[in-house]
Amino acid sequence: MDAVAHIQAGQPTSTPWRYRLDEMAWRDLVEGLKHDSLPFVGLWCDGTDIHALFMPHDMQPLAATLALESGRYPALSPARPVSSFYERMIFDLYGAEAMWGTDVRPLVDHDVWQNSMPLAPVPGAAGDNKGMVAVQPSDAMQAASGTAMGSGPATGGYETPLHVAMVCEGETIRHAETVSGYAHRGMAQRWHKCRVDEANRLSGRYDAGCSAAHQAAFCQAVEHACGQQVGHEVSQLRLVVLELERVTQHLFTLATLARQAGARLVASRCMWLRESLLAKAAPVIGSRLMMDHSVPGGVNLRDTASMGTLCEQIADLAEEVYPPLVTLWQSYPGLSARLAGLAVVESTLLERVGLDGPVARAGGGECDYRRAMRAYEGLWHFNGGRHNGTLEDRAAILLDEVGESLRIIKALGPRLGLSAGGRIELTYEDGEGTGLAEGPWGAVLYWVRLKNGRVDQVFMRNPAYSALMAFEAVLPGQNVADIGLIRTSLGVSAAALDG
Amino acid sequence: MGLIRAVFDASFRQSTARRKPAGPRWPLMLFHVDTGGCGGCGMELEALATGPYDMQGAGFSFVSAPQGADVLLITGALTYTMAPVLEAAWKAMPTPKGLICVGNCAIDGGIFSENYSLMGGVSRKVHINLRIAGCPPTPKDILDGLCSLFAQHSKATGAAQAEAGVSSSSTTSS
Repeated sequence: MDAVAHIQAGQPTSTPWRYRLDEMAWRDLVEGLKHDSLPFVGLWCDGTDIHALFMPHDMQPLAATLALESGRYPALSPARPVSSFYERMIFDLYGAEAMWGTDVRPLVDHDVWQNSMPLAPVPGAAGDNKGMVAVQPSDAMQAASGTAMGSGPATGGYETPLHVAMVCEGETIRHAETVSGYAHRGMAQRWHKCRVDEANRLSGRYDAGCSAAHQAAFCQAVEHACGQQVGHEVSQLRLVVLELERVTQHLFTLATLARQAGARLVASRCMWLRESLLAKAAPVIGSRLMMDHSVPGGVNLRDTASMGTLCEQIADLAEEVYPPLVTLWQSYPGLSARLAGLAVVESTLLERVGLDGPVARAGGGECDYRRAMRAYEGLWHFNGGRHNGTLEDRAAILLDEVGESLRIIKALGPRLGLSAGGRIELTYEDGEGTGLAEGPWGAVLYWVRLKNGRVDQVFMRNPAYSALMAFEAVLPGQNVADIGLIRTSLGVSAAALDG
Repeated sequence: MGLIRAVFDASFRQSTARRKPAGPRWPLMLFHVDTGGCGGCGMELEALATGPYDMQGAGFSFVSAPQGADVLLITGALTYTMAPVLEAAWKAMPTPKGLICVGNCAIDGGIFSENYSLMGGVSRKVHINLRIAGCPPTPKDILDGLCSLFAQHSKATGAAQAEAGVSSSSTTSS
């Protein structure tokens, strides 16, 4: 019996794609997953149950639920390594222990919170640590020989706070591990029993570079839970904002990469194009970072009727500026040589950590959920490119995707015309739903449970944990001066990680 | 955390109504610390520093170590985990020094109110020399706020002018 059949053999729940397993069946599931390629999405706890979400087919969720008895459950990390991050988060928040977990170090609770296990039925006492967070090295790090070094969480740069602990030999990193939790805001607690509109605002501020993707996925999940679907016009308007977010975020990343690589002229051109696009888009959308554009049942744009015109203006600007930018990137002296061969993310690593998005696409992975989304029919097509997984390839993929998204925006313009979008009125009845959007760094998925007209529970999956695992895996052998470049190229965001 | 007490030096404060004092510390050096937020304000700071806003021409620059900074610039809602880091950065700065909060979160937590992991901004804990509100404030909002320290107005570029009015924000200094 494969893993899908095994889950579906469980006890059905009121949600048609979620099945309840007993502990023995859950253990069998973990064993089965070791020999099954079923795509794993994430693991979360709601205080009484543990839920594991899978995506057997594009856009088709499948979840297994296990009652949390005596505060323990069999870990999934022996079969899906990235699950260790979810297990560590669950332990920090609920105190639920993952038996046979591959990593049991704290993830976000470093003994400084007002309560340990803050979401457990009986929260623990306040932490004793009043000073800086101490690194808890793994056995592998303790065994590594060399000079101990560290970077972050406050570097004076613009990035979100993360600490990278390293053992170096000369300037070469021999082993590296990260310490996260500096940006933990308690999103799971904030979402619990929250008003739907307020929960939507929170989702837009989970990770600023991907706000549109978060809110589009959250709204889809709420609409799914309500048994409703927005109209075609609203879907298309959301696509424009999602693609614009991809363009501006990729340009932002490319500018940062170019600057860190010493190509300041290229960086300024990337940033100039981004700012020019935002100067046109922000007055129409209402936000430079694409926040709060998507609301359950519709869109919330400052000037919806001008979206078609905006697409045309963006297309005109892109035709003038994008081709020279590509030429500049490809021909700028030394840029290619600086990035070539750095921090290779191979397909075996991608498979192990379950990473998707442009980082995976640059390593040969064909993972883009837009392919399966009905709203993208006739718009999206496979974007070829270099697939060796180097930092140079990742930059090239980002640049390609900027062009591809600009093409999609151009194609959407005539379809929108003077559309006002329309909006459906939702009645928030009890139920569960999922929503998915392909964000700038990969799939953003929301599971939402509504209860008594409010949000009861939210689980959010993004590529952050997988990206962090890839980051730690590729650092050995790299020059310590390249940490910033590598982090930027993998999209490692503490805000996205910590929640 | 309670030890953080952000005050401008008397001579520094007197100069704010007129012009920024020229001298060896020109331009005003900012050390940025993200104390735990969504990262949006940090993105807008990067856009300000590297985009077409001429931040350095207006007399401001970022530094990579607190020892060379005049002002500590905070974004994010201040987690308990980041509080000791912030305090260490403050202590490492030479005097005179000041504190600027960029974004609603840094001021009073904004959408992220106080909870088990968050202190909810610094406004009730320390003296803030300049508050630049917004969620997030635009690069032009931030530059205008910084320039208000010296009663200047930023020279908005074409891109910056076009975005005027996009984000509701306000600036207050004390």
